Amino acid sequence: MTERTTKEKEIVLLDLLDRILDKGVILWGDITISVADVDLVYVGLKLLLTSIEKAEMMRRRANELAQADSAPLIEREPGS
Amino acid sequence: MIYLYAITDRPEVAIPALPGLEDAPLISLAYRDVAAVASRGAGSGVSTALSSPEAVNVWRHEAIVEALMPDRTVLPVRFGTVLPDEAALRSMLKDRYSSFVANLKRVCGRVELSVQVLWDSDSRPLTAGRAKNINDQCSAIGGRAYMLARLSEEQLERAWRRRAETLVVEIRRPLEHMAADSVCQVLVTPRLLLKAAYLVAREQMKNFRKEINNLSLAYPELRFLCTGPWPAYNFVTDRKADQSGD
Repeated sequence: MTERTTKEKEIVLLDLLDRILDKGVILWGDITISVADVDLVYVGLKLLLTSIEKAEMMRRRANELAQADSAPLIEREPGS
Repeated sequence: MIYLYAITDRPEVAIPALPGLEDAPLISLAYRDVAAVASRGAGSGVSTALSSPEAVNVWRHEAIVEALMPDRTVLPVRFGTVLPDEAALRSMLKDRYSSFVANLKRVCGRVELSVQVLWDSDSRPLTAGRAKNINDQCSAIGGRAYMLARLSEEQLERAWRRRAETLVVEIRRPLEHMAADSVCQVLVTPRLLLKAAYLVAREQMKNFRKEINNLSLAYPELRFLCTGPWPAYNFVTDRKADQSGD
């Protein structure tokens, strides 16, 4: 596996977060999940807000990284 | 509870022997010629994983989606998607079957590449600091001078935006030729000139990267960041209408 700098990994993770938390097949809003009479859709929305907040934190971090260094061309390997 | 990773074609192909979230084994549930790849979990266990979208969980989800890609076409599912049981999963597959088939056809043989272009945000004429300077300087010399100064700044701002739009058109032109589809945002922040995703045939990936390198050389004042290949997250359209189901 190619050695990667921490910055490159963080940029790739940020790109992943941008996609995985917000894009793709999205089912929220269509399916109500109930376990032991607790409506988990409500829980899900709350969790999503948490995720977006986290993603925003990562985005800010990546912007700082992007301003700090030269631009890499990053070829990903699965899971890296 | 069922945690969902991806929708795929070719349900007859064996799924990879990877652990899912909370180390639960993967399962594949087929409906006609599509399949959902998921893992079972105790409700509380999956909820714990979802409530902490840490890098390890996010990468686990992504690794499973990517491990499916060599053998089949994949629609990645957003992180944190759970259904109550297999009956709900089957019902969802049936309800959305037409949409899934259309999306699978769209992304078949293609991957997503991300392109971000940064430029010097200091080139922006109308920054908060400069606007404040105008306010400070012109409070002493009257309204007309203030308005003229603001007009001048606005014209510079418009010219700056036009420059951005021109650059984006120039950058996108050669990339568009190599992509089946694309999505892009211009000036998401003053520094981020372009944020784009391209749906590219696998065999075009090398040429696409070469073109990014060419653009880097042609525009040394800009910085290009290209990541990928990704599953086609940006090119899954989620239309529930117009579906026959069975």
